[in-house]
Amino acid sequence: MTSLAAVRANPHVIDGSTSADQELTADVCIVGTGAGGAVTAAVLAEAGLDVLMLEEGGYYTAHDFTMREKDVMPRLYQEGGLRATKDLGVSILQGRTVGGTTVVNWTTSFRTPEDVVAHWHDKHDVKGFAYADLVPHYDAIEKRLAVSKVEESTLNGNNRKLFDGCKKLGWAVDTLKRNVYACMQTGMCGLGCPVNAKRSMLVTMIPDAIDAGARLVFRARAERFETSGNQVAKLHVTLLDAEGRAPTGKTLTVKAKRFVTSGGAINSPALLLRSGIDGAVGARTCIHPVVASAGFYDEDIFPYRGAPQSAASHHFAHRGADVGFFIETAAWYPSLMAGASPGFAGEHLAFMKNVNKTGVHVAIAIDGFHDDVAGGRVTLRPSGAPVLDYPITPRLWQTFRFAQKRLAEMQFASGAKTVKTLHDPERVMSSPGDVDRVVDGAPYEVGRLPVFTAHLMGGCAMGDDPKRSVVRSEDLRHHTLENLYVIDGSVFPTSLGVNPQESIYGLARLMATRLAARK
Amino acid sequence: MNRRTFLKRGLMGGAVLVLGMGGLAVLPTKDVATPKRALAVLEPRSFQVLVAFAKRVVPETADAVDVVHRVDDALRLAPLEAQRDFNKLLGLFENALPGLLLDGRALPFTRLSPESQDAVLRHWRDSRLELRRSGYQALRRACLAMAYQDEALWPAIGYAPPPTGAFEAMAYDDSKAGAS
Repeated sequence: MTSLAAVRANPHVIDGSTSADQELTADVCIVGTGAGGAVTAAVLAEAGLDVLMLEEGGYYTAHDFTMREKDVMPRLYQEGGLRATKDLGVSILQGRTVGGTTVVNWTTSFRTPEDVVAHWHDKHDVKGFAYADLVPHYDAIEKRLAVSKVEESTLNGNNRKLFDGCKKLGWAVDTLKRNVYACMQTGMCGLGCPVNAKRSMLVTMIPDAIDAGARLVFRARAERFETSGNQVAKLHVTLLDAEGRAPTGKTLTVKAKRFVTSGGAINSPALLLRSGIDGAVGARTCIHPVVASAGFYDEDIFPYRGAPQSAASHHFAHRGADVGFFIETAAWYPSLMAGASPGFAGEHLAFMKNVNKTGVHVAIAIDGFHDDVAGGRVTLRPSGAPVLDYPITPRLWQTFRFAQKRLAEMQFASGAKTVKTLHDPERVMSSPGDVDRVVDGAPYEVGRLPVFTAHLMGGCAMGDDPKRSVVRSEDLRHHTLENLYVIDGSVFPTSLGVNPQESIYGLARLMATRLAARK
Repeated sequence: MNRRTFLKRGLMGGAVLVLGMGGLAVLPTKDVATPKRALAVLEPRSFQVLVAFAKRVVPETADAVDVVHRVDDALRLAPLEAQRDFNKLLGLFENALPGLLLDGRALPFTRLSPESQDAVLRHWRDSRLELRRSGYQALRRACLAMAYQDEALWPAIGYAPPPTGAFEAMAYDDSKAGAS
């Protein structure tokens, strides 16, 4: 047993907000402690390497997870949960804390589909590994993180409706796997698990890394790599105040034999761009863009109780020339849903009022597989902060329209009396006969309906063609900088068609194992 | 009065009307509330505009000034450019000169009647200009998301999460829990 309280108190865990100027050295410096960084840190530290982890966010634990958005959003989410794409067309939910997005995700665990890995091999010059190479790492991760398939009997109301509606329509649907141990069904996954049942990086691989001797500095924002020839010589780091809002004026300089960036699909490309490392950096950022549908039922759903996601349908994942999507549920938290629900004043309140009888289901588009749905681009603002420009193309709007019809059909099939898209002003369907007319009559444009993302992929694509990629696929090393690696969701050349956490864990474990063998 | 005189008077009258409305349009922002504490990101004028906006958008039981302070606080985590854009957006929203052309209103938003303010909200919501639609949605979402962080609003919608701290004593402390 390793006590989480003891890990938090370990002298190797350093609060950057109270640190003086300093210079640190390490065998490997890892920027970011989410799915990619934490797994890499644990593997390398356990292999005997001197590992230094840096994290921009704070070190919050279950004691801080109050199940209240007012406390949690500013602490655990990028830009307090208000991050959006350049044209404000897509809201971005992404973690910013020790453990990264794994602390706030909804625990859904899928391996990368085998056909996606094959597609990367065939179309994106990813020749450095095969699906079979990943399998033992998925196995190991699933054992470490207690990943197991949900029993159908434990589906909450929202997932029950998804499951039953799909079955009724003859669509493929199944319960999914979650990385939880003895889940108490609080429903609060998105606000940080208050009981540590979720086996996030915060409570598993980061403690493993610290146990094995790794150091962690939090409230430490990586600003830029200083390069010399084909090497990264140093990393310059800004230390942030206790709330993570402003620099303290103190800095950290890191010299390491190797550097790994694991900041995720927005922050990793941004760090490279700030360092003058460009090429394909920032391109093809895929986001699994999401549209939602609200079904209003006569019976209680309680969409905020129980596991937020426990069933999924991939019935429409493969649509040939059309963009595929998969169907899941959304957690219902009042601030999140208030922002997403249409109208203002009384009209908005009327939409919110039915929470306990509302089912919220989402269609998640699979981007990156069609030439005109090839993702967005991360660039830098003048201040050096990243911004994602993600144009929603006509084909993607068509996908949303098609998907919204299917969501409505599924909700009616599972007993919804009324279905509403989240268009503003609201669009209401009272029977399955309304679906085509209402959805075809609704405008699909930026600012007419909310679009979300919680899955960020790409921007530092792996591949063996340096013109189209940033890192080599055999080891995720930069094509020309010989001691710089990118290990996180930013290396995926396309989206995945499944929730990404386990794909990142598995790939990170494979690549960290290869890196450890070269020490 | 011949046709020419009529036209002349008509044109002059129109010009006087536009000038007059333009004069109204450049009236300063009305103070609708007093900040309860120092502002971090919002400029004083932006604060007034956002309070006027929030008063029309959030439930009546919510305190619009508190909501705007929460938005101001959340904006501290946004990049500098996004902070500036938010202030600019509120300036645009308040400004009646473009409003005169696009919405037919002659007064800054803060000086309009509640009914006229609601009409402006709908104009922006339904605008053909993407900037107006997405700008309106950004303001609306920020106010409503921050309003519903207040537990006082939850009974009215039936949201009943576990009490804070309900599970604190039950949290697993073992990093290896569940591992096999």
